[in-house]
This record gives sequence, C-alpha cells and structure tokens, in this order.
Amino acid sequence: MPFNQKPQKFNAKINTVTIGSGDKTVSIGGNSTFPFYSFDAPTENTAKVGIEISDMGLEGMPESIKAFYGEAASMADIAKKAATVEGADFVVLSLEGGDPNGTNKSVEELLAVVKEVADAIDCPLVVEGCKNVEKDAELLPKVAEALQGRNVLLMSEKEENYKAIGAAAGLAYDQLVGAESAVDINLAKQLNVITTQLGVNAQKIVMNVGSAAVGYGYEYVVSTMDRIKAAALGQSDNMLQMPIITPVASETWGVKEASASEADMPEWGSVEERGIDMEIMTAAADLAAGSDAVILRHPESVKTISAMIKALA
Amino acid sequence: MAKFITIGERLSTTAPAVNKAFTERDPEPIIKRAKQQLDAGATYLDVNIGPAENDGEDLMKWAVQLLQSEFDNVPLALDTTNMKAIEAGISVYNRAKGKPIVNSADAGDRIGNIDLAAANDAIVIALCSSGMVAADNDERMMHCQNMLERGMMAGMDPSDLWFDPLFLVVKGMQDKQMEVLEAIKMFSDMGLNSTGGLSNNSNGMPKHIRPIMDSALVAMAMMNGLTSAIVNPNDLRLMETIKSCDVFKGNTLYADSYLEL
Repeated sequence: MPFNQKPQKFNAKINTVTIGSGDKTVSIGGNSTFPFYSFDAPTENTAKVGIEISDMGLEGMPESIKAFYGEAASMADIAKKAATVEGADFVVLSLEGGDPNGTNKSVEELLAVVKEVADAIDCPLVVEGCKNVEKDAELLPKVAEALQGRNVLLMSEKEENYKAIGAAAGLAYDQLVGAESAVDINLAKQLNVITTQLGVNAQKIVMNVGSAAVGYGYEYVVSTMDRIKAAALGQSDNMLQMPIITPVASETWGVKEASASEADMPEWGSVEERGIDMEIMTAAADLAAGSDAVILRHPESVKTISAMIKALA
Repeated sequence: MAKFITIGERLSTTAPAVNKAFTERDPEPIIKRAKQQLDAGATYLDVNIGPAENDGEDLMKWAVQLLQSEFDNVPLALDTTNMKAIEAGISVYNRAKGKPIVNSADAGDRIGNIDLAAANDAIVIALCSSGMVAADNDERMMHCQNMLERGMMAGMDPSDLWFDPLFLVVKGMQDKQMEVLEAIKMFSDMGLNSTGGLSNNSNGMPKHIRPIMDSALVAMAMMNGLTSAIVNPNDLRLMETIKSCDVFKGNTLYADSYLEL
C-alpha cells in the first residue's frame, strides 16, 4: 500500500519574537508545528542558539572555556569573542554576580558591565538577572533603561517581581520580557496572563519554563514543554503561544558529570568532554521538546547544536 | 478537545429594545449589547431578527456588516426563519474568525436549511425534532441520523452539523431532563458536535434561580459531551461554570486567572 502522508495542521502558531535592533536581529518562534516537524508545515524560524557570558568574567569557568577566551580578557573582549563563535545567534549576559547570597555586586557595578558588553557588540543581546527576586526587581528595570533602543530580552521576570520587571522592560523601555517559571505549566501560563494584564504586548514575551540537566528530573522539563506546545497549537491557547528560551549551561555545568575532576573520577574520562557532552545532550533534548532557543556556554556546544539544528531543518 | 463554544443569545427581537433597534437600524443599542456579550466571553453572537418577512435580507446584511466591522469579524449565528435573509447575511459575512452558523434546521419543515448551509459552507444547528418535541430518544436519534445523512449527502463535514437535542423546561417536563442529557451523550459517542438553547430548562423560574439551574445543567451536559450552547454570556455564574468545566475536561490549561480569560 502506498504511504499517504497526513500532515498535522494547526490553526495556531507560536508568536515570532525578534531580538535586537538595526541590521542584526534574530527571530525566534513563528512555527505552527511540533519541533523539527518540517514535514507538517514549513518552518518559519529554525531554533536559535545563544552563547552565555557572565559578569563574573571567567571566574569559576571550566578550564577549556578560560583557554578559549584567554585568562586576561576584559568583559568587552569576552563579549566580542563570544559574538564571533560559530553558530552563535545572540549573546547572553548573566548578571549572576549580583546575587546577595553570592558576590553581591551593586546595581551600579553591574550596569557598568552591561554597558561595556553592549558597547562592545552589536549582535542581539539577552540579559539574565541574578535570580534573587528582590535584587532583580531593582536591577533589571535599570538594565532596561540603560539599553533603550537595543530591543534586548530581559530574562528572569518571575511571579514575585513581574510588576517591576514587566512594567519596566515591557512598557516603559520597550524591551522584551522573559517570563520565568520553574517547570510548572500552570504558573507558566499564569505569568503570561498577569504580564499581559499589566499591559505588556503578548508578542513581546518569551518564556523560560524552566530547565534541568539531563538525568536531573529532566522528564518534567520535557512534559512541561510538550504540553505547552500542545496547548498553544492544538487548543490555540494564546497565553501559551510565546516562544520558549531555555538556559542550558547554568544547569549542566554544575552537575557532577560535568565538574568532577579526572583525578576523582578517572573512569569517566576527560572532564572537558563530559561538560560539553552534558550541555549538548541537554540542549538537543530541550530543542526536541519545544525550546525555540537555547543558551549554551561552551563554543564547541554552540557549534554542535547549531549544526544539528541546520541538519534537521 | 476544543474549548466549549458559547453563542450569545442577547441580540434577539424578543427583547423589545433590540427589536426596535433592528427596525429603526439604530446601531447603538445593538453594538452595546454585542459588546457586553463579547466582553463576558461569548465566542459567537446569535443574530435573531425574527421572521423578518418584509425586509429580512436587508436587515440581516445590515446587522452582519455592523457587527463584523465593529468587532473584528466576530463570528455570528444567523437566526431567522427567513432563508433568503440568512443567505443575504452570508453573502456579506467575513469568515476570518469562524464560519457562519445557520440557526436553525430541523427534521421537518426547516430541513432545507441544511442544504442552505451546505451550499454556503456554513455550520448548521440541527434541531432533533420535527414540528413537535421528540417523544423519546429513539425519535431524537432518528431525526439526528436523517439530518446527518442529508448534510453528508450535500457534501458537509459532519463536524459542521451541530445537533440540538432541544432543552426542555423543568417546570412541566422535569421527567424528560435525563433523556435530553442522554441524547447529548449519544451525539458525543458518535463524535458529533452539539448545541442548544440551554436556558429553556429554567423558563418560568424566579430570576435568581435561573443561573443556578442553568449552571448545573451546563455542567451535566458538558460531562455528557455538549460542545456548545446558546446562552446569556452575561450570566456570570454560568460562564464561570463553563470555564471551570473546560478545565476539568482538559479543554483548556488551568492558570490561577482562568476566570479572567
């Protein structure tokens, strides 16, 4: 019997969100199929890859990443080099140094880093907060103000601080809002609802629905993304049609498979390879589950995932 | 499963204010009532212009164009016994937000409305009766089968026939209520869509009782597979019940603000 292909057609699609300004922009979302199902309908935008750098410079980074950027690199140097990595569509600046339970850098110090990085590169930029809800509520509105006109995506708007961050990023300074929930599909939707009720345009919201390293409760990440895409497309739920961006590096580089030394775990092989493998495996699974963009740290991971996306397009 | 579809019933010549506005082609009261219903969450709006024997075609065109231009091509149910008026309405109807609904056909004199819907690629409400209320579910399902066949012979997709079991008034026909619900279950088991004038059940009851009865019935009917109803969307209790049932049925994903959506 001949094979009759029956495309799975949806009357809905994921919103297209464009990050960046001027000639250098990147668009995520826009598709009306499940991930990589290009046989069902044409792909509007392939998945995109961001390369993550930190306000902490190279402190605490794996040796191989330090070697890539060079020990003495300034933030501007790091940003420039990151932007040239093969397969990187945008640069992500993490302001983890602002965490009051960590280095606790002041808002002014962090803003100086933000400006240094933003001035050094003209590619699309994503800024992640420090994940402390009070500090981010103070910090991210200032970042939104400082980067007016760049159309940056500001990650880490959470249920606890959505008013401050949503209003500043999405309303006052016309940036893009990254709504973050932790593997909780109902909260992911709720955060989109209340952010739009604030007056933020639904087309300017990107979701971070949470992540994990593969092997670390990862099944919940897959089912969350899967159900979000199913509701967004199958039920035309416009409060779930925001594209999904998933920070991968911040989850994978801390787990023991990526960090245990070769002296402690000789049977596990090269620590550098392990770290890259964890990042690649997690990112590939995120993309297959529904992420429209992933955030990675290692140049080798960026290159590999980007090649995978192109091969499957 | 798709979300339950509400068809707002408040644009009807049975309301004196609406009747007057239709007659005088006065947009303001029509727009006001339409907006109230859409703000309350109605998906479709029913446009009941009555028999409209003299100027039905002109009136339906006017109403369709008025509502669709004012409310971003809101999908409409065209409700009149004047078939020419329905066709006239469809001729100016914009389908961007959904096919027009022909309200309604039955298995008797009005069966021609199925052909009309088929010829115009419209949805049709198919009332499972012929002149009189069906005596039992054997008769209801016979009408259902006949109308389904008629529609399919005319090239319709079965999903475009929305079967109406005919909701019956509790005061007087209390013993028939479970039968109506069973008919809905049978439609659902056949994979068919269904709808109906749900608030018929509470006709003649005190005003404060009606939302309670309507809400209870819609929950039971949705449990049995009802996919749509012609309702007063400004009945808050009813709309909250429908939204809650949509959550239980998995038709929509829960979020704390689900009642506001």
